[in-house]
Formats: sequence, C-alpha cells, structure tokens
Amino acid sequence: MMDLRAMKAALKQQSIHFFVDPQWVIPSIIAPFIFTTVTLFLFRHAGGDLLLYAVLGGGVLGMWGNTIHSSSWSIGYDRMNGTLEAIMVTPAPLSSVVFGRCLWNSFLGLLNALAVFLVAQFAFGIEITVQNPVGFVIALAATLLSLSVLGMVFGAFYVVTRASSAFFQILEFPIYVLSGAVFPLMVLPEWSRPFSYVIPATWGAEALKISTIPGYDSLGIGYYGALGLTVLTTAAFLLISLSLFTYLEGRAKVNGTLVRY
Amino acid sequence: MNGGEKVIEVKDLTKIYPAAARLFGDGGREKLAVDRVSFNVHRGEIFGLLGPNGAGKTTTIKMLTTLLIPTSGSATVLGLDVTKDPIGLRPRINLVSGGERGLYFRLTGRQNLEFFSDMYRVPRDVKKKKIEDLLELVGLTEAADVRVEEYSRGMKQRLHLARGLVNDPEVLFLDEPTLGLDPEISRETRALIRRLSEKGMTILLTTHYMFEADELCDRLAIISEGRIRAMGSPYSMKEAVRNDSIIEIEARELGEAQRKELVDLPGVSAVSMEFLEGRQLARIVVDDAPSLIPTIAALLENRKVISIRVDQPTLEDAYIKMVNGK
Repeated sequence: MMDLRAMKAALKQQSIHFFVDPQWVIPSIIAPFIFTTVTLFLFRHAGGDLLLYAVLGGGVLGMWGNTIHSSSWSIGYDRMNGTLEAIMVTPAPLSSVVFGRCLWNSFLGLLNALAVFLVAQFAFGIEITVQNPVGFVIALAATLLSLSVLGMVFGAFYVVTRASSAFFQILEFPIYVLSGAVFPLMVLPEWSRPFSYVIPATWGAEALKISTIPGYDSLGIGYYGALGLTVLTTAAFLLISLSLFTYLEGRAKVNGTLVRY
Repeated sequence: MNGGEKVIEVKDLTKIYPAAARLFGDGGREKLAVDRVSFNVHRGEIFGLLGPNGAGKTTTIKMLTTLLIPTSGSATVLGLDVTKDPIGLRPRINLVSGGERGLYFRLTGRQNLEFFSDMYRVPRDVKKKKIEDLLELVGLTEAADVRVEEYSRGMKQRLHLARGLVNDPEVLFLDEPTLGLDPEISRETRALIRRLSEKGMTILLTTHYMFEADELCDRLAIISEGRIRAMGSPYSMKEAVRNDSIIEIEARELGEAQRKELVDLPGVSAVSMEFLEGRQLARIVVDDAPSLIPTIAALLENRKVISIRVDQPTLEDAYIKMVNGK
C-alpha cells in the first residue's frame, strides 16, 4: 500500500522545493507564525495554566495551518506543473508521494511550533515547564503524524478537481476551533462535539496538554486515552485517505481530469 | 517487422469522456474521443499514430499507459491488461510527453531524474551511474545541476526523454515528442528515438508531423475523429495515392468557400489549404491533372492566382486524402 522509497523521495523533493521556492515560506512559516503570535497576544493576561494552554494551542494551530496549506496544495502543484501524469504513470502509489510531502510539511510545522514556544518564552515571558517530557515528545510525534494524514485526505481531492483549494481554505478555520486547540471543547456547543471527536488533532492536542499542564485532563480520559485515540483516529483517517486516493484516481481516469489546471 | 512478437494489442478500444459535472450551468455533452480503434505493435517496432489535433491520439496513448480507463474494448501491453494490471505494467513502460510542462522547474535536471528514478525503484547501486549515462545520452551533462526553469525548450524536451528512460522501459510511449522544437533539435530528437529503436526498444509515438512519421515509423495508423482511417507502412500509404496527381495552386484570395468548391469537383479526391502571409497554397489531390487544370483555372480566375503546377503526391497528400477526402 505504501512505498517507503517513494515517500522518502517525495519528502526530499518537498524539502528542496521549500528551500528554492520562496512562495512556500509564506503559508509554511510566516502565516502560522503570525496566527499563533496573535493568539498568544490575546491570551497574554490570562496567566498560569491558561496561558500555557494558549501556547500549546498556538503550536498546534501552527502545525495545522502549515499542513492544510502545503499538503493539500501538494497535488495542485503537480497539476500546475503537468507532473501529475508523470507520477501516475510510475509504479509508485500517489498516496505515498503525497504522504512523504506531508511528512516534510509536518516537520516544518514542528519547527513552527518550536518557534511559538520560543516567542512565548522570550517575547511574552511565559515560563514553560513540561511535566512529562517523554510523554510530550511522543504526543508531539503522534500529533504531527495525525496532521500529515489529515493533509493527505485533503490532498486526495486535488487528484479529481483543481477547485479543491477553495474548499480547504473554508475548512482551515473550523478545525482551529473544533480541535479544541485554542478553545476548550467544553465551551463549544454540544452538537459540534462529535465533529471534534473524529479529528485526530483534538486528541493530539489533548495529549500534549495533559503531558504539559499539571492536573489537566479536560475530557477525563488521561494521557494514554488521548494518545490512544490520536493513534486510532489517525489510523482511521489513513484508511480513509488511501481509499479516497484509490476512488478519486479511478474517477479522474474515467473523466480524464488529471491534466486540467 | 509484422511477423514479430505482438507487444501491444488493441481491440475495439473506445473512450467516451463523460459530461463534466458543474455546480452551475451546463457541463456540456459526453465526448467520443476514441472510437473502436484496433491495432497491434510488434517488438522493436516504431509505430506511429498520425492525425490532426483532437483526433484521439493522446487519449489512445493515455489508455495504453494506464492514465485513462477505456470505456470499452481491450488493450494489452507486454501481455498485461492495461485496465486490470496497471501495477504490473507500469515498471515496464514509460511515457514522454511533448511540451513545456511535466518537469519540476525549480529542481535541477539531475534532481528531476533522481526523483523519477526513485518512483521507478531503480536499484540504488545503479541509480547514480544510470542518471549520469542518461544525461550524457541526451547531452545535458553540463547542465545537470542547473534548474530546469533555466533550460531552453529543447533542453527540457531532452530531459523529458531522459526521464522516460530511467527505468529502461521495454515499451516507450512518445506523445508529440518534437512538438514546438526548432528543426535542429527536432532532428536530434528523432535521431535519438531511432537509436533507441535500434537497441530493440518498442516505441509508439503520436505526431501530426507527416515527415516525422515518414522518417521514423515502421508502420503507422492515420487517426481522425477517433477512428483509424488507414494503417500500414509509410510506403504503402504513399502507394495509396501513387496513381493520383497533385495540382498545387498559389493564389492571393483563396478561402474556405473555394476549398469547398474545389472538393466538389468531379475527379478531385481531397484539398488541403495552407494560409501563408498574404497568399494561400492549395494542394488538390486529383486522378487526372491535365484534364482538370482548365476547369480549376476557370473556377479560380478571379482569385489572383499566382501559379499552378503539377506535383507528385507525398505522404502528406495521402494523409489529407484519408483524413479530409470525400
């Protein structure tokens, strides 16, 4: 199903593109950085755990903002270049190529999150102490992976239509809210919670907060519960994305829409 | 060549593009792009699909390279069904398209080849050497580490060809390989294609350049409006118009109306018209030139005729007769 060599090559290719093409710096670094800095600014008087909550939320937002822009655009870029067919005629599964690129984008998101922590510490004077460092690193890795997989789901739609970007830009902000990254889920309307519960980033953010903020467990499931649900929902989205790629590639081959841009 | 192993077998292949789905407005009608096309290609052969734009050449090649799913009919390449076994087939074939697109412009030529080598799982121990050899083959060694966006049109096309060879394909599909290239680069590209064929590679190419088909192809099929109109060697195609003559007329006021009048004349089987700067060139395929010249001259007497001459038919005339003939 997944081709490790194609993933590695796609990751490398995406990293080269990042360094040689300045356009990626805006959605990958500058936009999420501004967004998270604004979040910190809004929460600057909150103090204590709430401020730490905002820092973590800002980090997750940075990772998500980067993923949604770069990963979903991954196939759009191939459409624009006319390279989508050149990839699809090779034995490498397209999903592996997109996943490799998403991994690089998530890595960038990690750098982004680190930058948020540094800004929080030095510009806003927020003292950050992680109570469970090992748990934090594991939760961070799981969250990054979950965002990559979510980016892959969105990327799949580009196979079938060039109009996907407009749709994904609409999706960017609801996930900021629904994931509970910045606002606790409990303050959201009850009807919205099922949507929150199926987003892997919700559980990833929860695991990150539990491992960092003393006594925090807003959903009463503990660190392992949150981590387990991150893995479970990520696995579900991985299956969904692979199925989507199979289905949408098939549709594009029937409709002849691979080359349209 | 016809007696060799069949590498490509196409039978009644048809492609209908469904009407596009639109949120607002009419998505248009479904379009018949390829209509019950059948042909075989033998090992080591260069087979051409020759036809005008929109004839169905590219759609056919895309079905054979697993990029499109046929609506009906069957096609096998190297004994593998293109619809049922695309995964088994892809490592053994490759596709090169003409035109500017299809490469990563921000990457260097070498980085493009490395990426596609990985997509084909070219063994790591031979990858580096293979890429060096390909760069040398297409004359891009010096420019290997230059970004593709700085390449000329010809250099891009040569890189396309190198990309198409990274997996040592048994069958290479070339879609308009010399499209938009200057004559010198086109000649070099054709020479390279011929060298690949001499090494035993089976090649299926599409083109709308008559001389290219004539020069390269062992056999070709003339395709128009999705259907094969004629098939055979370039020689046999020319033979089909051997008993015809060509009346070539250069004039200053010829248009579509005159072309239609000429086509309707008894004894005329096809007319092609080329519009040059301030003048037009009509090539009229006829069965008996001497008897028709007075009739044609009378028909065009107010059209500022510059010259009338009789010529021998070429492959292009055979093509015009088959595609546009009565």
